[in-house]
Amino acid sequence: MKKFLSLFLSSVLVMSILSGCSTSSGNNSSGDGSSSGDNSGDKTVITFMTSGTQATEGEDFETQTLKKMVEAKFPNVTLEVTKLPDDQYYTSLKTKLATGEAPDMIWVQPRNAGANAVYSLAKAGYLADLSDLNAAKNVPGTGDFTYEGKVYAIPCGVQFLGAYYNKDMFEANGIEVPTDWDSFLAACETLKNAGIQPIVMGDKDSYVMQFGLYQLAANAIYPKNPEFDNLLTDGTTKFTDKDTWDKVLSMYSELYEKGYIEEGSLGIGASQAIQQFIDGQAAMTFDGTFNASAVKASGAVDFERGYFPLPGNAAGETTYVAGAPGAGPAVYADSKNAELCKQIIEYWFDAESDLCKAFQNNPRFITSYDGAPVDPLFSSFIDAYNNYNSFYWCNQAWPAGTENEMQALFGEHIGGQGTTIEQITQGMQNKFEELYTE
Amino acid sequence: MQKKNVTNLIIHILLCLYTIVTLAPLVIVLSSSFRSIDNMTSHINLFSEFKLDSYISAFTRMNFPVVFMNSALTTFGSVIIVVLIASMAAYPIARIKNKKSRFLYYFFIAGLVIPSQMVIIPIAQMFNNLGIAYNRFTPMIMFITCSLPFSTFLFTGFMGSVPISIEEAAYIDGSSLFRRYFGIVFPLLKPATVSVIITQGIWIWNDYFFPMVFVSRSSQFSLPVAMIQFLGDRENPAQWNVLFASCILCALPLVVLFLVFQKQFVNGVAAGAVKG
Amino acid sequence: MKKKRNEKSLVMTNRMYLFLIPALTLFVVFWVIPLLMLFRYSVTNFNGINQNYDFVGLKNFVTLWKENIIGVSIKNTVTYTVILVFMSNVIGLALAMALNAKIRMKGFYRTAAYLPTLFSAIVIGFIWTYVYMPNNGLIATLMNQVGMDGSKFNILAGFKSALYGITVVDIWKNIGTAMIIYLAGLQTIDDSMLEAGQIDGCTGFQLMRYVKLPLISATITINVILSVIAGLKAFDYVFIMTNGGPGKSTNTLMYTIYKIAFTDQMLGKSAALSVIAFIVIIAITIVMLFFMNKREVEL
Repeated sequence: MKKFLSLFLSSVLVMSILSGCSTSSGNNSSGDGSSSGDNSGDKTVITFMTSGTQATEGEDFETQTLKKMVEAKFPNVTLEVTKLPDDQYYTSLKTKLATGEAPDMIWVQPRNAGANAVYSLAKAGYLADLSDLNAAKNVPGTGDFTYEGKVYAIPCGVQFLGAYYNKDMFEANGIEVPTDWDSFLAACETLKNAGIQPIVMGDKDSYVMQFGLYQLAANAIYPKNPEFDNLLTDGTTKFTDKDTWDKVLSMYSELYEKGYIEEGSLGIGASQAIQQFIDGQAAMTFDGTFNASAVKASGAVDFERGYFPLPGNAAGETTYVAGAPGAGPAVYADSKNAELCKQIIEYWFDAESDLCKAFQNNPRFITSYDGAPVDPLFSSFIDAYNNYNSFYWCNQAWPAGTENEMQALFGEHIGGQGTTIEQITQGMQNKFEELYTE
Repeated sequence: MQKKNVTNLIIHILLCLYTIVTLAPLVIVLSSSFRSIDNMTSHINLFSEFKLDSYISAFTRMNFPVVFMNSALTTFGSVIIVVLIASMAAYPIARIKNKKSRFLYYFFIAGLVIPSQMVIIPIAQMFNNLGIAYNRFTPMIMFITCSLPFSTFLFTGFMGSVPISIEEAAYIDGSSLFRRYFGIVFPLLKPATVSVIITQGIWIWNDYFFPMVFVSRSSQFSLPVAMIQFLGDRENPAQWNVLFASCILCALPLVVLFLVFQKQFVNGVAAGAVKG
Repeated sequence: MKKKRNEKSLVMTNRMYLFLIPALTLFVVFWVIPLLMLFRYSVTNFNGINQNYDFVGLKNFVTLWKENIIGVSIKNTVTYTVILVFMSNVIGLALAMALNAKIRMKGFYRTAAYLPTLFSAIVIGFIWTYVYMPNNGLIATLMNQVGMDGSKFNILAGFKSALYGITVVDIWKNIGTAMIIYLAGLQTIDDSMLEAGQIDGCTGFQLMRYVKLPLISATITINVILSVIAGLKAFDYVFIMTNGGPGKSTNTLMYTIYKIAFTDQMLGKSAALSVIAFIVIIAITIVMLFFMNKREVEL
């Protein structure tokens, strides 16, 4: 017993020495500085963690442009930007929040979308209130970042889902851009008969299923009942309701049954699907505006790209687009530099600032501000968005995880595992009830 | 004699086949990494182009010299500490034969089977409670902790082959416990030490999980964390050529070390394990 | 030389336990206590972010059972482990035996076999994603060139084949280590033993079965242990190559734990699965150690 006690006590001693060690080495490392240059001790280091992949050509917006311009504007600031792919970002963010030392600025998604959803982070008290900023008042779309009346993040433009198509192939086969579901199916049939694979999807990365499904939901569910998702919470509506998700899922499933979407899509990754599209091996792929630069990259053949909303509507009805404010920066509530971070965000979204202009000119972002440059590929989408002919992406209104259940079950369905549409909607409903807490 | 030649030939053919299967994926990575960034034609056309664009892009965007130093320092530091404290821990476990030792032995081995993803959130909370500062050296704590079970296991096994009689002689000569251990026993553990350095060094060098989680500033990242910034995600598909170039840059230091110290590598990995 | 257990020794005093302190402290503080914390979370609805969480009793375990998550993930993990252990050891041993013979270019083959172990799992996952890619991946292209229909090759898309597909990757990476350890084991065998066997008229097979294998039993043990651990921890390739898909066909224990914690944001439920995983793994380890113990009387 005595031995164990002494063992324990000495352990505590070693522990305190150890943590002392790391603290002092911490001081050292900020003192001796790294070659990327915080060598003057007066500079404040602001850390910003965001999700995404570094651009490999040209300037990367967050890690290069933003850093450069913020440091020019605030000479006392060193901005350290970290960009991680989605999954790594989620893990990293969550763990960092648990350590109590999160980056000063973090990247959050609207409403309930993903593991970095603004609602769950704000609810847990991790985000600083940005309501007082001019950006919160002026930038469109902050509504989706408002929790209990307070704005917690500023959206970076808008994002849409749509169908990229090969204009040359459409023209060669005499196909007009379809504006309703039946003409869309007819277009696929024409392409198929001409020996062309109509659609390629990278369903191995099962999130791409959302790209098609949400567009159909924006036409088949929300126009009839815009409150569908809100009513899920008290059980007024259910995923299993007739003519809602069962309809969306069977419409989408039809594309697989008829072979319009490439067979074996479950083994193709998202970026490989894009590759096949730009190599001219398929006429269409459903994807978001966020992937525009990859879709525009040159492949094995040259052709003109087009973009149209997947029409889930009957003939004669309006086609609604699936559009939503993009993710955006938020400030960590316990950051020692919260005020400085707010100034940076203010600068970023001040329409007159150089940074804001650089941001609007970056093709990765689509802003709906007046006078902001718009890629002609997306102009019809912006019009629909401004005319309120658009609905948000479904998962933004669901507790994170519901969409994964949908993807897994739909994957089983198209993979011939005997999972029925009813089982998918039931599974989504079960998952929703399990995950939803209030 | 004839038969032996035939057998030898068959062995050679099989080995060649195996080597091709093993190396083919790596050769493709190498060939793709030498392409210009937007050359996305079939990767099978090996070495159709020799350009350093992808390397230059990867090198500069990773901030290679800085992250390389971070990686080298943390890996080196972790491995040294692991060797030291794991061999020390193995000493009483191997030498004192009683139930307590056996319990401790299994206690450490049990740690071998728990993956870090499982316990990362509680570990993070522990860091928070202890008020540990975050910098490039913080991940070392976890590197060392996670290396302990295997290293202790290896050292304990190996220590059995170090004769006790040497120590008994030293004891009679009046050596202190510390001198006996560091002066006599530890130097004899060299094969196991090499084995630990290699096996643990490789995983620590390649691990991105702990540096990603416990380092916030990009100038303090390690090489693998800088590399995963090129992996694609749902909104940004991977740029394969640059990704492959960064993979090569990440593995290159290990490959060079391996080729230079091949003999020590091969004997080292094994010696500790075989006698253990 | 061998000491009896519990015998007090003047040389090996209990003071030697002081040497354990640094290792034990780190291990307890950063490994054991977090694990115990995880046990506590298993009966809560903690989401990993919000510190206001409630005690929910055994609800998490019941849900896991009802959704059949336990069964599927244990089955996948065990399948993965068994194949990995069997294949990497058999191939590793075969390679080692071939390389132990006096043949030319030994060094080259050895280097080639060991190279994959130097790459990080994430890199390997990405390389193999390309190898398996349908239509224009490495295997599909090769199939096309020999006149087979490469477009039908799509191993990661099949509900039955995907798990085997990722196991192959782990085997590919594991063989190098296994081979090197076996090689060293074989090199410890005294030639005189083999000569004695040959004089007694053993065939090549008999020589291997009754002389070589028993002599390297310790090597086999360690290799099996290492690959069992690698198999039970299977996570990286699932994470990078399939994300548990298609459907849920490649959800291993560790990947499921990760997914529930970080995608579904239910740390409580994931902790409950961790507890189950922990029990399963410890049970397997005990069985293994039992066999090991029978061999190595020393400890």
